[in-house]
Amino acid sequence: MEQTEVMKPETLNDLIKVLHQIFSSDTVNVEEVQNLMESYESKPEEWMEYAQFDKFRYTRNLVDEGNGKFNLMILCWGEGHGSSIHDHTDSHCFMKLLQGQLKETLFEWPDHKINGGMTKKSERVLQENQCAYIHDSIGLHRVENVSHTEPAVSLHLYSPQFDQCNTFDQRTGHRNTVKMTFWSKYGERTPFVR
Amino acid sequence: MDVYEGLEGEKVLNLSRLNLDNLDLDDVGEERKRDTQQLFLVYNRFIMLPGSICHFSNLVFLDISCNRLAFICEDILRLSKLKTLVAKNNRLDEFSLPKDFGTMSLEVLNFSGNRFEEFPSEFLNLQRLQSLSLGGNRLKSIPAEIEQLTSLELLYLGGNSITSIPPELANLPYLSYLVLCDNRIQSIPPQLAQMNSLRSLSLHNNLLTYLPREILSLFQLQELSLRGNPLVVRFVKDMTYDPPSLLELAGRTVKSRNLPYKPEDLPGNLVRYLDLASKCPNPKCGGVYFDSCVRHIKFVDFCGKYRLPLMHYLCSPECSSPCSSNPQSDADSEDESSVPAHRMQKVLLG
Repeated sequence: MEQTEVMKPETLNDLIKVLHQIFSSDTVNVEEVQNLMESYESKPEEWMEYAQFDKFRYTRNLVDEGNGKFNLMILCWGEGHGSSIHDHTDSHCFMKLLQGQLKETLFEWPDHKINGGMTKKSERVLQENQCAYIHDSIGLHRVENVSHTEPAVSLHLYSPQFDQCNTFDQRTGHRNTVKMTFWSKYGERTPFVR
Repeated sequence: MDVYEGLEGEKVLNLSRLNLDNLDLDDVGEERKRDTQQLFLVYNRFIMLPGSICHFSNLVFLDISCNRLAFICEDILRLSKLKTLVAKNNRLDEFSLPKDFGTMSLEVLNFSGNRFEEFPSEFLNLQRLQSLSLGGNRLKSIPAEIEQLTSLELLYLGGNSITSIPPELANLPYLSYLVLCDNRIQSIPPQLAQMNSLRSLSLHNNLLTYLPREILSLFQLQELSLRGNPLVVRFVKDMTYDPPSLLELAGRTVKSRNLPYKPEDLPGNLVRYLDLASKCPNPKCGGVYFDSCVRHIKFVDFCGKYRLPLMHYLCSPECSSPCSSNPQSDADSEDESSVPAHRMQKVLLG
């Protein structure tokens, strides 16, 4: 397998270029992608056009479709905004903080023999420029901006692409399939039409 | 979220992160002072709002977050065009504001991350206020006078020590986004169910054990977060039950059998008593109750997704399953056991 030189991407566009190169092969080296994403130092002027907030809930803003191999998107979290507990449809998921902080709580897959809700594995607060990784084989997670004063912005890479996942009720483990939509694509607002 | 359309060039003056503790405007030309509409003084060392700020006579937006502000002087009142004031992460409390602060035409106010222990009374006169954030302070309550903020659309009070919600909050006609997460709220007043404008309600991380059943009528609600509350999981039935009085039994019979009567037929106090009858919320029961009722926590499938414990009253402990319905009753046809999915699109119960 070809060894890709890991050079520190100076700009967001550099990062996207290298990601295209890495994902042109069929296998994903998780550590390589995580290190690469972590090494990009967030510069707001490079991603501001994608950082479109909604006052009611977090938004997903598509940045790049990775030649069909991955989706790269920016998520914008207002104060107090959080996700439900969800899985990742068997895809790799990388999440890098561009601004602010996000709390990630990991859960075990629900076990219906156990009463009293889903089991929390761990939690941590991700700092700016840190990059986390998750996959269904690791478990499920909830991501939330617990700050009441600062919005947060994160960069997500999902490979392969997917547009639906399951959400879970923490108290019962009950699951629901949901379709995921984009607030904007390539900087342009794309309202969801039923 | 303060989303302000960025203005180009001369209308925006950014003096952030300059270690300033005073605002010396000698280097700022008169024209610039007049033209500036947006002023950023974020991440400096201001202890007071600098008096020279009123030279920016056309200022519309001021962000003085992340300083050491303990006091906002009267000079701010001279910024007659100011619509947005952001002063997050300072040292402000309910004594920090000038007396006539309420006369300003502010539309957006963000005082999150300060030291407010009480809702400043000066806020309550801000008739044009659309967005108010006091997240991350030390508030213990919300005053009933909040209903005076008739233009309010967004109210962020997450991360305080609030223990209850005044029913007057429901009188805000345009409130669409209400954040009460990370507080100590034990119950929701049923009046909140009248808030047809409410689109998003954040209640996670509080002390709720149930919700009032009226919450099902919030048909505009699309986001609801309830996680991190000790919601009752198992079926709970309150077994204490005071048997109804003779008056109550007679009243129930009159009402549930629609016995005809004219006001002239009865003493005035009995006519008034009969008018107080409450309908038993069990849709399959045509019964009524006056004072004697049983608390009952019922689990309802919220739009087919999650089961929520809802509190309502029943006419007797026996009234929990279909009983003989009164053919003449006008019990409403709302099916309690499920809410149509379109009513609640995203329930962040997780």
